[in-house]
Amino acid sequence: MMHPEPPPPADLLSAEGLAKTYRPARTPALASFSLSIGPGEIVGLLGPNGAGKTTAISLLTGLLAPDSGRVAICGTDLFRHPGKARQWIGLVPQHIALYPSLTAAENLCYFGSMYRIAGRRLKERTEACLETVGLSSSAHVRIGAFSGGMQRRANLAVALMHQPRLLFLDEPTAGVDPQSRNLILDRLTELSRLGVGMLYTTHYIEEAERICARIAVIDEGRTIAHGSLQGLMDAHPGCGDLGQLFLQLTGKELRD
Amino acid sequence: MRPLLATFLKELRLLYRDRSGLLVLFFMPAVLVVVVSLVQENVLKATGAARLDVLFIDQDRQTVGRIIRERLDGIEGVNLVTALNGQAIDIDQARTLIDKGRYQACMVVPAGITETVRARAAEHIAEAFSGKSGESPPPPPRVSIYFDPLVQGAFRSSLLNAVRQMLLAMEMEIKAAALTEALSSRLQRTPGGFPGPLPPGLAGLPPIEMDPGWGARRLMEAAAEKSGLQKLPTSVQQNVAAWSVFGIFFIVLPLGGAIIRERRDGTLARLRTLPVSYLILLSGKLAAYIAVCWVQFLFIVLLAKAGLPPLGLPVLSLGTDSPALIVTVTMVALAACGGGLMIGTFARTLEQATMFGAVAVVCAAALGGIMVPVYVMPPAMQAISQWSPLAWGLNALVEIAVREGSLGSVRHELLCLAAFFAVTMAMAWARFGRIDRQGRM
Repeated sequence: MMHPEPPPPADLLSAEGLAKTYRPARTPALASFSLSIGPGEIVGLLGPNGAGKTTAISLLTGLLAPDSGRVAICGTDLFRHPGKARQWIGLVPQHIALYPSLTAAENLCYFGSMYRIAGRRLKERTEACLETVGLSSSAHVRIGAFSGGMQRRANLAVALMHQPRLLFLDEPTAGVDPQSRNLILDRLTELSRLGVGMLYTTHYIEEAERICARIAVIDEGRTIAHGSLQGLMDAHPGCGDLGQLFLQLTGKELRD
Repeated sequence: MRPLLATFLKELRLLYRDRSGLLVLFFMPAVLVVVVSLVQENVLKATGAARLDVLFIDQDRQTVGRIIRERLDGIEGVNLVTALNGQAIDIDQARTLIDKGRYQACMVVPAGITETVRARAAEHIAEAFSGKSGESPPPPPRVSIYFDPLVQGAFRSSLLNAVRQMLLAMEMEIKAAALTEALSSRLQRTPGGFPGPLPPGLAGLPPIEMDPGWGARRLMEAAAEKSGLQKLPTSVQQNVAAWSVFGIFFIVLPLGGAIIRERRDGTLARLRTLPVSYLILLSGKLAAYIAVCWVQFLFIVLLAKAGLPPLGLPVLSLGTDSPALIVTVTMVALAACGGGLMIGTFARTLEQATMFGAVAVVCAAALGGIMVPVYVMPPAMQAISQWSPLAWGLNALVEIAVREGSLGSVRHELLCLAAFFAVTMAMAWARFGRIDRQGRM
């Protein structure tokens, strides 16, 4: 089964006032977080380690329930109608969230089946997604035998099986070689042209500069800057590039 | 239905490719069944620390019954039970309890044995003096002992021998008393009697002659009676039941490991963003692991049926109630899966799950009577063993396979296994929710 056609909302993602505190801590991991993503828009979510990026993605995909705030996916409230809203989202987690002893094709087929894709359609989608990430020739190789770059690409392919409208990518290029990174970024750009919206978190500033139309910078659970790349640079004229801007906003102090 | 089926097949694939896990699940119990069956078939363990619960029915209520009771009470390791709930024990009730394995033995001292034995002693002596013996003397009265069929041979022999020695000693006393009385009576009849110097006329009397074989004629005997069951259990039956349950519970290792790997690798996070209830995914996973438990059980049964007879071991029989057997094995598998889920949810690392899971299963197996019978354990351990899920599984399987029980006779064990599954699932779910809220998924 294909994903159902969503109503045509202005925003694929609409999040307002999200807040989350992990008890017993008193400091919020994320506070007053709001974000919207339109069709075909790639929004970069940047921040140092522990800034709240993964918490934000967990809240936006329904993995965590917020203390307050709301999230709508294609106009559907994620927490009231999770089953419906989740049909339109795809998640590329920070980890290689695949079964290493299954082959690439078996992993894709399994996750595709979870979206009730079956039969010939399942086979076609598996082949198409593997081709998208350049893994057609390794379809029947176990994920555990893949290189780091191939695993990252397979991780992305799984999220594309049901043709989601909105992709959440949590550091999808961490630890991969330049070739794999280039392919991943190219494919994401192509998907955005097809109308897929994306939230992209990364520590590689140049990746955000390359593919993101808008950037949100968060630190200590709060959004400290948000806007188009050009808008941000204009607002901080002393910074030569996004990397300098990032350090100016978040400081040079180590965070680990 | 499709996600459930896909999850079921995915889990089977994962398990099939986990060679070390398969080795633990299939090879280990199979080796244990073969080796331990062979060992137990040929070697009787002499365990001095055994404690037998023996029902004692004294229908005699005279000297013989009293003495047997007093002497049995003095034997270390024998716990004599003379009443149940304050009531005298009935033979039928006792035999039922023995066949169910509630007690290890029952001894019945028949009514009137004291009188009969005394009369027989006097009769034997009279015959010995007269040189005549009955052409077909009636069989001696006997003390009957009924054993739980599962009580090992060493324990049977030691109890039976102890009782036989006891009866022999009593016989000697009774015979000596009877002989003293007979001699005294004969001497009373001699002219003038004595004491004092022997009258010269006595020298001419014929000497007192006795048949020297009289002492060998038994006054009473002890015998082990046949069990109420048609067939005695074999070492193969016991070991297949025991090590199958043990092997099935080892499913906690791959299942717990799978849960932790899904958490660690982020697969669980991905699964939870799917438009499918996690309960469905969990059901698919459980179904796959239960199927593996069944394959494991059938593998062991097949091995026992086909592989053990050529080694000189008895052919396996699993009772007559197949539905009860199916339900029991499934409940054991469910309980094991519940344990695996709980360990997988509570353990933080794969190492924790593996170590805790293995130690927990081995301890529960030891307590549950998988390695040594529960009745040879100290009383405190016997009390603890009642809480081992492996004991419930083993008791239910033994009841069906060995004692030819039915669903009704194992309902207590099945309820305990179901409760264990429910409790472990509830604990795993609660822990899962807690981890979820803390964002540590």
